[in-house]
Amino acid sequence: MEKLKDALDFSDFSKTERICFIIFTIFLLVFPWLGVGSFVKTVMIQFMLFSLFGMGWNTIGGYGGQVELGKAQYVGIGAYTVALMMVWWKVPFWISMPIGILIALGYSFIIGYPLFRLKGHYFAIATICTSLVLKDIFDNWNLVGAAKGIELPIHEHPDFLYMQFKSDTYYYYFIMGLFYIAIFYMNWFRKSKLGYQLRMIKDDEDAAESLGIDIRWCKIKAYSIASAFVAVGGGFMAVYNLYIDPASVMELSLSIKIALMAMLGGAASLWGPIIGAAFLVPLDRFLGSWLGGHKGLTGIDFMIYAMLIMIVSAYQPKGIWGIIEQFRKRGR
Amino acid sequence: MLVIDALLQGILIGLLFALVALGLTVIFGVMDIVNFAHGEFLMLGMYAVYWTNYFLNIDPLLALPVSAALGAVLGLASYYWLIRYLLRGPAIAQLFGTFGLMLFLQYLAMFLFSADYRMIDKGVLVGKSYSIGPFIFEGTKLAAGILSLISFAVVYYFLYKTKTGKALQATAINKEAATYMGIKTDRMNALAWVIGGGTVGIAGGLLINFYYAYPMVGILFVMIAFACVALGGFGSIKGVFYAGILVGILEMMFPVFGQLIGSDFLGPHFKFTVVYLAYFIIVVVRPQGLFGWKN
Repeated sequence: MEKLKDALDFSDFSKTERICFIIFTIFLLVFPWLGVGSFVKTVMIQFMLFSLFGMGWNTIGGYGGQVELGKAQYVGIGAYTVALMMVWWKVPFWISMPIGILIALGYSFIIGYPLFRLKGHYFAIATICTSLVLKDIFDNWNLVGAAKGIELPIHEHPDFLYMQFKSDTYYYYFIMGLFYIAIFYMNWFRKSKLGYQLRMIKDDEDAAESLGIDIRWCKIKAYSIASAFVAVGGGFMAVYNLYIDPASVMELSLSIKIALMAMLGGAASLWGPIIGAAFLVPLDRFLGSWLGGHKGLTGIDFMIYAMLIMIVSAYQPKGIWGIIEQFRKRGR
Repeated sequence: MLVIDALLQGILIGLLFALVALGLTVIFGVMDIVNFAHGEFLMLGMYAVYWTNYFLNIDPLLALPVSAALGAVLGLASYYWLIRYLLRGPAIAQLFGTFGLMLFLQYLAMFLFSADYRMIDKGVLVGKSYSIGPFIFEGTKLAAGILSLISFAVVYYFLYKTKTGKALQATAINKEAATYMGIKTDRMNALAWVIGGGTVGIAGGLLINFYYAYPMVGILFVMIAFACVALGGFGSIKGVFYAGILVGILEMMFPVFGQLIGSDFLGPHFKFTVVYLAYFIIVVVRPQGLFGWKN
């Protein structure tokens, strides 16, 4: 109960922020009824999905300050658990998704234990390695469809148990629900004991250790929370796209995107990943579809993307949220 | 027989891996930055030789200076235009900054050269092979191994025997003390990037002789280079030499091992998986590497 109160309590934000949040919520609620095209709706779904990923990454990468570049493996675990259980045993989504989360949690503990002996660059590269190893295995494992991937069976009638709907609107509200659960969870998380411990670790590991914080255990916990978030998103991706392969759910570029959105928006802040996703997902999608029509322009969208990363990391490592904060301080 | 053959092939390719990883370890040693874009320098080096060969009909081996120069310029430009600014920020920003550079160069190559796989088909050594005793070597690989070894030796000589090289070493060991001795550390940083870019440019020029160039080729080799650097100990130059050879042998031996035990699953698709796993195990079990000096 206490925790729930903490999660719903936004009183330590400024008034402007709270008003913006309410307006944003209303906007999201009525969005499908504004008569927008299906493409825009897909972009919105992608936006919320990537916000979800980004918020997950934010626990370990933002608050914990560990450069984690292997989140795609957990997207893969979530997606494959849902897809495989549905194909093999016809298990409904509502059962297979929690199982996917449990598998992601278990796997993250097993991987996290040796992983968090490492720091800095060593850690960042090691996370890439673990992710690539898993992708290589799935790429060659015939039982799970290898590089061809797997298609989910399509039901004739809409089916709530298997999350199959005719209209994107249902998916929209479902991912919106997950999105808000994630926001409330993160709102609680940043005020929780673990949240404070992580920020302490980020600032000064030696000091944190001398205060009796079990650094490694804290990091592992944050890492597995992040993994669970990402696995939920992965499960959603499987039922939404109805097709998954290692290249779409386990690619290194997905890990980078996840970390990037949180980083660009502003790591270690509640709104950061959301702002980052709101910025990058439309950029990615619209630019991609616009450039797709012009032959010979492939790659420009990613070049703009990459320029943004370089500029942000060189001039404002705290991201867009950092810039906003800066302006607010100057205004005062 | 199969085993010895794989061993020799592994050593040859390993010499090239060592040259790729050399730049990474020099940069890391001097300024504690991991350059994710290192593989893209390699990729652009490959393209440099490919296009000089394509348009000017110059033999790929004689076009090596082009790729070396391109690599060095790239290194210098990225130091002055990006890395210097990143150094002021936290470690996370440094990682993302070089990551951004990597993405940028990848898609620049995609934009300029398209995603096609390109390989050299004309050249003195292309397609030729030599038999030494019972073993058969491809001419291009033999040349790549030998030239890598020579390049590595030149850089090694430069770093350990010349005054500038020693200044670079001093900067790597203790930046502040080096500044007090009158060494301009900013210039040393730039020099490290020039060496890093130049060596990896040469490596790219050698690699194009027997490997496809495509915009995403870098990530594979940068992961191998990371494994070599980790194995040799981050920042160690002697270490990375032995580590490169070791990784080369590992990569060549693995498919042979799968063949020997008659397993389909442990086939050649996993030869790079082994490298990733090796990195993971090395840094976890022995973070200072096999011959490490900087922890």
